[in-house]
Formats: sequence, structure tokens, C-alpha cells
Amino acid sequence: MVLLKLNIIKQRPLWWSISGILAAIGAIAMAISLTTLGAPVAPSLDFVGGTRLQLELDCSIAGNCESPIELDTVREIMSDRGLDNRGIQVVGAAGRGLSIRTLDLDVDDRTQLLSDLEERIGQFDPQSTQIDTVGPTIGRELLASGLMALIFASAGIIIYLSVRFQLDYAICAIIALFHDVFITVGMFSIFGLTLGWEVDSLFIVALLTIIGFSVNDTVVIYDRIREILKLSTLDEANDSKPIGINEVVDTAVNQTLMRSINTTATTLLPLVGIFIFGGETLKYFALALIIGFILGAYSSIFIASSALAWWRERQESPVSATADSPIPDDRIIEAQLDRDE
Amino acid sequence: MRRQQSLLVLIIVLLVGAVTVLTLVPLRLGLDLQGGAQLTIQVESTDEIEDLTPEEVISGVLSVVRNRVDALGVSEPLVQTLSDDKILVQLPGVSDPEQAERVLGGTAQLEFREQQAGTDEQLQAELLARRELQLEFEVLKAGGDDAALAQKQESLETSNEAIAALFAPPLLTGKNLKFADARNSAAGSDNWSVSLEFDGEGGEKFAELTKNLAGTGRSLGIFLDGKLISSPVVSVEFAETGITGGQAVINGRFTIDEANDLAVQLRGGSLPVPVKIVENRTVGATLGQDSIRRSVLAAAGGLILVLGFMVAYYRLPGAIADISLIIYALFTLAAYAILQVTLTLPGIAGFILSIGMAVDANVLIFERTREELRAGKTLYRSVESGFYRAFSSILDSNVTTLIACLALFWLGAGLVKGFALTLAIGVGVSMFTAIACSRTLLFLALQVSQLKKPELFCPDLPGSSQS
Repeated sequence: MVLLKLNIIKQRPLWWSISGILAAIGAIAMAISLTTLGAPVAPSLDFVGGTRLQLELDCSIAGNCESPIELDTVREIMSDRGLDNRGIQVVGAAGRGLSIRTLDLDVDDRTQLLSDLEERIGQFDPQSTQIDTVGPTIGRELLASGLMALIFASAGIIIYLSVRFQLDYAICAIIALFHDVFITVGMFSIFGLTLGWEVDSLFIVALLTIIGFSVNDTVVIYDRIREILKLSTLDEANDSKPIGINEVVDTAVNQTLMRSINTTATTLLPLVGIFIFGGETLKYFALALIIGFILGAYSSIFIASSALAWWRERQESPVSATADSPIPDDRIIEAQLDRDE
Repeated sequence: MRRQQSLLVLIIVLLVGAVTVLTLVPLRLGLDLQGGAQLTIQVESTDEIEDLTPEEVISGVLSVVRNRVDALGVSEPLVQTLSDDKILVQLPGVSDPEQAERVLGGTAQLEFREQQAGTDEQLQAELLARRELQLEFEVLKAGGDDAALAQKQESLETSNEAIAALFAPPLLTGKNLKFADARNSAAGSDNWSVSLEFDGEGGEKFAELTKNLAGTGRSLGIFLDGKLISSPVVSVEFAETGITGGQAVINGRFTIDEANDLAVQLRGGSLPVPVKIVENRTVGATLGQDSIRRSVLAAAGGLILVLGFMVAYYRLPGAIADISLIIYALFTLAAYAILQVTLTLPGIAGFILSIGMAVDANVLIFERTREELRAGKTLYRSVESGFYRAFSSILDSNVTTLIACLALFWLGAGLVKGFALTLAIGVGVSMFTAIACSRTLLFLALQVSQLKKPELFCPDLPGSSQS
């Protein structure tokens, strides 16, 4: 039941242009963001330091929740205290929630600000309050350790794939992986510029997960390419005509296509669930994963495979024996099965 | 077949074990889920102490922080070192960390104070009262009644103040203390003491202080952050000159632990290193409950959709995969409980994601089985071959995910670590359930002749009607 047959190699210019355009849009967004915000994506206080207060009026007190919070009142209080009054939002359906993002406040400043706010607006419910304060140095450390994790994870994956497959497989997988990460970052750069969404330390987690998943998808296809190549060299020994790398890649992609689609779909289902129902913190995390996983599936099918074919085509033609790692040999399986049955 | 039966027994045993663990051991929830304050305290170097790397520095500061956290009266606080210069403090249930921030910041105050004349009886009575309060406090701490705990904490505070009032203002402070250590009074005995070493100025002041006190029966009060931690008396032989030479020993039939505790407290108090709160993450309790409810809802919704999809698309194997997915979820949660993994919001995300990975392994196997069926192999051989051939893909894909987890766990902080840990455990468990559980159950199903139909595995198989 092959629903569709993709012709990856023939349509290579198309897939590469789509990715190229997406990457270029991302690069432009990052450049604009870099000049306006000083960073390729809008950084949250996790990375630059600061204080965020999320407050909610305590509605169990009579008369406390009569009217929604007035943004102007809050702005006024902030200005009176000499604080930047841009990062203020009234949240929640009835306008009873307040979110304030400002520079890193110490305990005295924060307490003073809170009592000023309570005096003008009403009692807040401490049980629904969220306070985040991150010092500027901690922020930099978080960012540095996050980037280190990204680099080490990529290096580890290259080494593992070089051992299990070959170096050129690893390089093409890494190209696909950077493609996914780069475009995801580009998308969030656009979100930062247009919607004001900021990325926090969970975004780095998301990028690392995307790396893991993208390689996952790519490995499954490479596994199949390796297997077909091995079988074709066996056939060659039996005087069959050799098949070109392009044909091998096309076959491998199409044979694993349903798996790629189904796996991506089943993984996306819970993520979409989190995106729609999950709390504020996990919403953007889930969205980053959704974008990254779709890109991961796309790049495995269209980029990683066609890049490998392109590389091999330039190296040698026609293909000779390539896979040197142990792979499941059909005849060994048959022998084992016979004993088992 | 015997191998499958023993595997089935193993799975059932593990399943019973997992359910037992889950009913007995509660899952540990992070502060972002149960509500509470998490503070990161940074120790700052000064001109006097530039190098913070020696272990004594951080352990000294840690004891000071512990002391202060104890004084907050929070049930089940957690204090641990994060690195050479950072200490993590978790205060579950605290939604307004203002008091904690004030108490925890700032340099430790170690003071040596003279007991005032004629206060002996009063001191004994106060100390007795404080000991009782302390005991009641410990009992309440385990109980979880926060209001009663706070009240008891206040009485303790009053008691500490009353004790401090019996002593004269400090003549000597911790900045003159060079070193403190626990030592064995006589080699091999169980009787431990604490030795002190002062600098030149401190030695002179200490001599004067002890000269005043020697033989009077009045004690030398040692206070850390306003709380009396030791009150030794000075024996009469030092009445002439006081204890000179800048060195002294506190004897008191200490056990080794008591002596160590006191020495560490003294060392911590002698460190002129300021501490600063550099990170504060506080989540109100209802906010935490709200996010846990939403995340569980999202997870459950997503999982049900995935289970439905598997049956609709993969038929019989899909149904079996669903059973092993449920087993998977139980095993993974039990593993979290056993390994005392603290479940945070990103941790739950890691778990949900690992479910996706577990499904992937099944998808790989079943797609492969279908291919083999289409290639004309028998049902039994197709299933066997599906598992065998999909294995290298599953292994490679899971190992790459584990590499990413390792990098995250090793380099990441706090929340990131939690995510990496839950995902890694999930991936490990999923290797077992996808291969062992699905496989065993599927082969068991193949023993039932009604289920031994290729169309239950692959709906539109050419020529399946004949088989």
C-alpha cells in the first residue's frame, strides 16, 4: 500500500530551494533581530537576567475582583518607581492577571513594588503568584552551558554515526540537523520580532530534542540505504547489473516513507495536545518541538538522503561496496529462523 | 517458545512490581508542580578569600545556609551545593520567599560573647525551654502543618532572642577565627573536642575574654547568626592570663558528629564571604497544581489519540503495541519513583516525548513486518524478520537520542537536567518494552489460530484472501 512514490533525486532542486528559501528567511529575521534586539532571537530573562512577576487578584476577598486591572495604573506605578514600564501585560480572561517583566529586582525593590501594586489594584493571591528572578551572570552561564550542550551533542552524534555508518553519512546527517535547528531558530526569530515571544532555557532543550529526533529519522533512512547497498553488492557478485546510488536512495526513502509519516504523526499528537492545553511555559516549548520535528522529518526524507546521493555521485560512479559495518544479512536470519521454528 | 514463556513471566513479575512501587512510593514532584520557592545562592569572593575552590569554603557556607534555612521553619527544605560557588535551596510550599531571601542573603555573623553575671539560672531555664521547643519543632516539621510550624518557629525565635539577651555585646567576632576542627581528645577514645585557632588580634581578645570568665561559672557564648550554638565555660586555671597563644579547645564529651557539626558551623561563621541570591524561582501552589493538571490532561489526550491511531492503522499488532505502551508507561513511572527522579514540568514533557519514541520502535517493526508479508513471506517469518531487521534502526535512533540526553544532563542545569533524565529513562525502558513486550505478546497471539491471519497484520495484502 504505497500511497505515493516520491522521486527524491529528480526533484532535488525543488527540495533544496524550499529549504534554501526557508533558511534565508530565517537568516534575514535573525539579522534584523540581531540589530534591533542584540540577539538572533528575543531572549527571555533566563539568558539576560531580570525579574518576572506573574500575579493574580485574590477573588476570594469580597470586592477585590470587581474591575479588570488597568494597564495604565500599573504603568504609572512602575514609572513612579523608576522602572521600565514596557514589559507589562494584563492577562487572563477577566483581566485579573498581571505579568510584569523588568530588570533584576532585589528583595526590597520587589516587596516595595508589590505593596505599591496591592495598594492601588487589590490583594493578589500568593498561591497563584509566580516570581522569577535571574541575575545577569546566571543568565550568561545558562546560555553558555546550553550552547555547550548543543555542541557536545552534535559532536557525539557525528562520532557515533561515523562509527556505525561512515563519515559521509554522518556529515550529511549533521547538515540535515543544522538545517532543522537553523530554520527552527529562524522561525522563533520571526515570532520574537512579530509577536514578542521570547525564548527561555526550555528552547535550548527543545533544540537538543529536535537534534535527537532529526537524527533519529535520518538514521532510519540511512539504515535502509546501507541495507540495500549491501544487498546490491551481493547481487553484483551474482552478475546482476549494479544499481546507482540515486536509485538506492529513492527506494530507501519510499520504503521507509510510511514509517516516517506515522512516527512523526504519533509524536506530534501529544505535542499538539500540550500546545493547545498545556500551561504557558510548555506552550512555546511544544511549538518549537512541533516545528522542529516536522522539519526533521522533511529534512530526513528530502535533504539528508539527496545530499548523501549527491555526495556519493561525485565521489564515485557506479557505486561499489560501501557499507562496512555489520548489517542484518538475510541468509543469517533465514538460518536462525529455521532453527527456531 | 520456552523463551517467550519465561519472558512473559518476567514481564508479569515486573508489572506487579511496578504497580506495587507506584502505590507505595509517591512520585516526587518538583517545585514548579507542587509550588514553592527555589533560590540559588552565590558565594562571592572577597579580597581576603579570593579562592573559593577549597572544599572547606563551600562546606562552611553550606552549614551557615543550613542553619538559616532551619530557622525559617519550612517543612522538608533541601539545601545542596551546585558548584564551587553556588548553593541551591528549595523551600516547598513557600509562595512568598521575601523572608527567606532576607534571612539567606548576607555574610554569616559569628560572635563570641560573655555571659552576664547572675544569669545562670535564667540561662539554664531558657536553654531547657529552647530544647523542648526544638523537639516539638522537629515533630511538626515532619507533620506538614505549616501554620503550627510557623507559630513554633516564632516561639523559637523569641527563645533565641531571650538567650542572646543574657550575654554581653560581642568582643570578638568570626573574622578573627582562623580555623576550627574536630579532634579526638585522646587517641582512640570516643570523646571528641573542637579546637579553635585565632589570628594575632583574635588571640589577644580571646585571652581577655577568657580571663574575665575563668572560674566564674559564667559561660562563653558562641553565636551564629544570633543563635547560641555553644556555651563552654572556662576553667579556673586561666584566671590569671586567660587562654593565650590564640589556640583553644572546647571539651564537652562530643561524639564525632557533634564535634564535626560545631567545627563546620564555626568555620562557616568565620568566613567573611558574602552570599547573594542570584536566582529566584517561585511558583504559587495553586499555579503548580494547575500546570500539573493541564500537562497530565495533555499527556492523556495525546496518548489516547496515539493508541487509537495504532489500532486503526496497524490492526492486531497495533493493539498489542498499545498493551505494551501501557506497560511501558507503568514501568517508566515506576522507574522514576525508584530512582527518586524529581518530576518537573520539562520532566513531564520528557516523559511524553519518550512515549513518542516508544511508539516509533513499534512503528518501525510493524512497517517492516508488512514489507516482509508483501514480499511473500509467511506470517511467522515476517513477524520474526520485522523485529530482527528493525532492531538496528531502533538501536541507532535510541543511542543518538541518549547521546543528546547525556549532553543535556552533563551540561544543563536544573530543569534541563530533569528533562534529560526522564527522557533517557524513557528511552531505556522503551527499548525493553518495544522489543521484549511487543514481541512476546505478538508471538503469543500467533499461537491463537483465530488471530493467525495475515490480513490482521496488513489489510490490503495481495492474495491475502487465500491464506
